[in-house]
Amino acid sequence: MDGETATGTESWEDCMLAPVDRLRLERADSPTPGLVEGTEPGAGQRSAMFVQAQSFEDLTSEAEEEAQRSAAEENPEGPDEGEYKVQNHDFSSDSRTKEEDVSSEAWRSHKKHVFVLSEAGKPIYTRYGTEEALSSTMGVMMALVSFVEAEKNIIRSIHADGCKVVFLTKSPLVLVGVSRTSQSDKELLRELQYIYYQIVSLLTLTQLNHIFQNKQNYDLRRLLAGSEYLTDNLLHRLERDPGLLLSAVTCLPLASCSRDAVSSSLQAAKAKNLVFSILLAGDRLVTLIRKKDQFLHHIDLHLVLNLVGSSSSFREGEGWTPICLPKFNTSGFFHAHISYLEPASELCLILVSTDREDFFNMSDCKQRFLERLSKRCAYQSLKEALKCPTYPVSQVGIPDLRHFLYKSKSSGLYTSPEFPDVYRSGQEQERLMGLYQDLHSCLHHPTRPLRSFYRCGETENLLAWVTSGFELYLCFSPLASKASAVAAVNKLLKWIRKEEDRLFILSPLTY
Amino acid sequence: MTVFNQLLSNELPVQPMMPGSVSSSVTCCPFFPRVVLLQVMLLGDSAVGKTCVLVRFKDGAFLGGNFIATVGIDFRNKVVDVDNLKVKLQIWDTAGQERFRSVTHAYYRDAQALLLLYDITNKPSFDNIRAWLTEIHEYAQRDVVIMLLGNKSDMAAERVVKMEDGEKLAKEYGVPFMETSAKTGGNVELAFLAIAKELKHRATQQPNEPKFKIHDYIESQKQKSGCCSLG
Repeated sequence: MDGETATGTESWEDCMLAPVDRLRLERADSPTPGLVEGTEPGAGQRSAMFVQAQSFEDLTSEAEEEAQRSAAEENPEGPDEGEYKVQNHDFSSDSRTKEEDVSSEAWRSHKKHVFVLSEAGKPIYTRYGTEEALSSTMGVMMALVSFVEAEKNIIRSIHADGCKVVFLTKSPLVLVGVSRTSQSDKELLRELQYIYYQIVSLLTLTQLNHIFQNKQNYDLRRLLAGSEYLTDNLLHRLERDPGLLLSAVTCLPLASCSRDAVSSSLQAAKAKNLVFSILLAGDRLVTLIRKKDQFLHHIDLHLVLNLVGSSSSFREGEGWTPICLPKFNTSGFFHAHISYLEPASELCLILVSTDREDFFNMSDCKQRFLERLSKRCAYQSLKEALKCPTYPVSQVGIPDLRHFLYKSKSSGLYTSPEFPDVYRSGQEQERLMGLYQDLHSCLHHPTRPLRSFYRCGETENLLAWVTSGFELYLCFSPLASKASAVAAVNKLLKWIRKEEDRLFILSPLTY
Repeated sequence: MTVFNQLLSNELPVQPMMPGSVSSSVTCCPFFPRVVLLQVMLLGDSAVGKTCVLVRFKDGAFLGGNFIATVGIDFRNKVVDVDNLKVKLQIWDTAGQERFRSVTHAYYRDAQALLLLYDITNKPSFDNIRAWLTEIHEYAQRDVVIMLLGNKSDMAAERVVKMEDGEKLAKEYGVPFMETSAKTGGNVELAFLAIAKELKHRATQQPNEPKFKIHDYIESQKQKSGCCSLG
């Protein structure tokens, strides 16, 4: 067991050509699959595709550290750095009268508002309504931030009247989330962080800083014009997409030989400045090839997915757009060649280059990829696989199991069956996602994280389990017992192990 | 013999021509007639209808409904017949938003023709035309063919830019002008064809052949858009 672990770890850290078959045999023999990181079902065998990140913590800890650091800097003698929760009930009524002037009851009853403003208090983005109408409201938000800052402290959140107001200061921007959901501050902060990265990916942090250094009261909406829908869509995804919750992406189920053929065709279509080649089927990853030693962060990939999924403008021709991948580098733009393999197809190819003038090289790469793909007949099997991009939970063969999310930590990939009939409606899906989010919050509690969690509800029973190798969230019918749920875990893990070739990308390639 | 004939015998896909001439190029394919490659770029403020004009020309359809902002630049091909010669137009559709300007600049110099659009129902988009022309002179090839288009000519009720103002501006800069409508298709085909003809003539002109006059050609062909409503 020890020896096996060592092999596994060594091979995916060193990016060597590990003897894949031997490793696969050893892994299959493991009596308790998945208890050690790197050997769980779905773990990559040669090297991970993504930056190894403590996923959720990676997103939030940074903000917390920063907050604490700046609090410490600004408040060298202050003992009460860090946590500063203002319990202020006057605020809600106060701000409400202001909002009433500009907006309706419907506006206020939205479950979650997100605002972005500059440090000068200028509105940059609001999820609902127009920024102009909310300039005074945003002024109040900035006043709150400044007021607490003047006391050499940092405002984190306000809890009032069933409403949470969460602040994220990322100079030169301030992001504010106002939520009536049961999400924790940390979850809300994570979402604001995503919005922040979305804005950085459009402009780069260097440009943002430059603009506001030169002109503090610059109206950033001028530069962000026409991109609001990206932020809107990202917020929508945050409510619906398990990938954003799990800090992982999901793959198109595809026989491993077909996937390998697609991957190697894509690998062969390389160019000097090409850093990442990504083939998507809708929101699902078909394959991802990266330059050796360069890793893509899952946040960056989600920003790419959001860009591609939100814009129908890539449907017809070949798109060429600057994109900053903030987790890779906040200071510069990559240039992405984005095109669908066929106009009506779900298959979208994204070629990320470092050179602004590389359009024709990338266009040529795409042609070479297509030629190889059709030569190897892989295109046909890929098209076949597109017809069933998902699978019913009944394939697993656990009677009371309705739905699950399984994430392999070392590969950063997750798998999940289609929603069963009970959760077909958008509203029900969002409710289930809300339940998963709750479980996720409990497992990743900042001070008291849990290993496993079982919850009985009126409409479903839920079980969550996290190990060093995987995260698992299961949803059972309300009639299932705890014992059967626990027994189901092993059966499910065995099933995923059996299907991992198809559900995950086990041998990611580099150029 | 002529430049064009030299090009025809050359199989390189992209072949720069002598200085000062149009750098159009010609590829030879055994199964198809000879094809001239021309690069055309659509420019103008956000939401003036660049993508709609392109889709009307390319697919003969109108993109109604919601506004879809182009991201970065978008590249499409369309082959047209000009005087029995296949001309492959490579069309760059650009995003009007300011944050994409640097990418657009990078591809200016490859373009042999620029279609510069404004929206006749949007005064600022017309006022910005001078700024666009300044930018064009800075980044584009010296002999690039420019055409000014006042789009959305079907929306007569909302018109704020008079046709004469467009004509006046075009005259000042010596560029051909017409009003187009991506919705009805009015003059859209003509705009692209006039450009293709002009460039084809430049590339293939025989010494004793009369010069192609794009202004005259347009005047003779164009539909006086919205003539019924303009009175």
